[in-house]
Amino acid sequence: MERALYVAKTGLEGQSFRLAAISNNIANANTYGFKSGRAEFEDLMYQNVRQPGAQATQDEANTLPSGLQLGTGVKAIGVQKIFTEGNAMITNNQLDVMIQGKGFLRALDQNGNILYTRDGSLQVNQNGDLVTSSGYLIDPNINIPQNVTEITISSDGQVAGQEPGNTQPTVLGQLELSTFINPAGLESVGQNFYKETLASGTPQDKNPETDEAGSILQGALESSNVNTVEELVSMIEAQRTYEMNSKVVSAADGMMKYLNNNV
Amino acid sequence: MDRMLYIAMSGAKEVALSQANNANNLANATTDGFKQDFNQFRAMHVEGPGWNSRAYALDERSGTDFTPGPIKVTGRDLDVVTKENGFMAVQAPDGSEALVRSASMHVTPEGDLVDVRGDPVLNEGGSPINIPPAKKISIASDGTISFLPADSQTNIMVTADQLRLVEPDIKNLQKGLDGYIRNTGGNLDQAIVKVTSGALETSNVNTVEALTNMIELSRKYEMQVKMMNTSKAHAQKSDSLLSLS
Repeated sequence: MERALYVAKTGLEGQSFRLAAISNNIANANTYGFKSGRAEFEDLMYQNVRQPGAQATQDEANTLPSGLQLGTGVKAIGVQKIFTEGNAMITNNQLDVMIQGKGFLRALDQNGNILYTRDGSLQVNQNGDLVTSSGYLIDPNINIPQNVTEITISSDGQVAGQEPGNTQPTVLGQLELSTFINPAGLESVGQNFYKETLASGTPQDKNPETDEAGSILQGALESSNVNTVEELVSMIEAQRTYEMNSKVVSAADGMMKYLNNNV
Repeated sequence: MDRMLYIAMSGAKEVALSQANNANNLANATTDGFKQDFNQFRAMHVEGPGWNSRAYALDERSGTDFTPGPIKVTGRDLDVVTKENGFMAVQAPDGSEALVRSASMHVTPEGDLVDVRGDPVLNEGGSPINIPPAKKISIASDGTISFLPADSQTNIMVTADQLRLVEPDIKNLQKGLDGYIRNTGGNLDQAIVKVTSGALETSNVNTVEALTNMIELSRKYEMQVKMMNTSKAHAQKSDSLLSLS
């Protein structure tokens, strides 16, 4: 069947995939700790319709110098996560923490699986345990007694609380961070969480302020690193390219229609 | 049958192939680093007894347009683009050396530096590049890759390797069936080519030209079909003239 039609179809698919990636970025422009993704493409394989050097005529001296290799379109090969740091948003909430560095906070989901996040809007559940905004326990667990008035989280991750009657704050626990050699290889599982994969490498658990893990900033949150201007420009580009590819579909359709109506 | 019908048919068929090539250029209008393909028709005379009145059309890919595409600044450390006639080398899946002008690279868990398709990026000696665990990787304008080791307590960067940068003759470059560009003439030496990190080269497809081409090809196709139709009318006419009734 008509090749151009199928090639243009891959172009349409590619651009709608790209638009999906862009719209996900824009939708999460205000999600704390969100990392933007960039759609990546490659050209598909080429087909040898006519081999260069083939004989053009029966006369042996006459060969084709360049042949015909037809490309078969474009393929989306994935969304590359861009792990640059988002801007700090000062919230002055004592349980909000921002990681300034490459580290991830660890949390345990309801099945005990370890998840990683950059979203540091921590909260306390009914048992006094420190949890993420989705209610997952922070690993290692930190319990905050009910009578604690003021909580301070130091830049190296030490959580301390002021209990009435005590002049010195009591140390309640230690926040730990995990780093990955290839954070772009982490699997996004939604709710601001990532999962370890073969591509990300194994996590290195360490205290904040050691190695490249980064330090903890209390009273601030990391906003998403989505550059909305860039996303809007990409959106225009995706839309226009989509339109051009749909024009090819109608041109190829027009050619077939003309053939059908006239022969 | 009438020769005219066959000649018009070959015209329509080859125009359809050319339209497919044009569609491929347009489909890759936003593929980073893509180079558009040229397309041309050639007249193929049919030699033989009698008058040389027949010339079939033949569509061919006469080459690939290697003019640089526009540069897009991404700010990502491992996005690199070479300048002007320079290319950097990656290893194609078949083991041969392929040339790219721009690469969005990443590091695998094993520390290998690979391009966006997962194929290894080559160093000046032509072998894959491996980078130990690092806090930060940066690429200098001469292609030198330096990194800050993960266990380093200081801010001193360590030199790891250098990208293989070459300056081939554009005439010797050919796009393969896997979409990679390869050098077909002789061995290439490491050349002084400037690279910029934090940017990517976008596709060099001229969309206005491609759209104009598309319209032109559509109309050419219609003309060929019209010729086929005319040939049909001729045949019908002669049939009716010779009919026994």
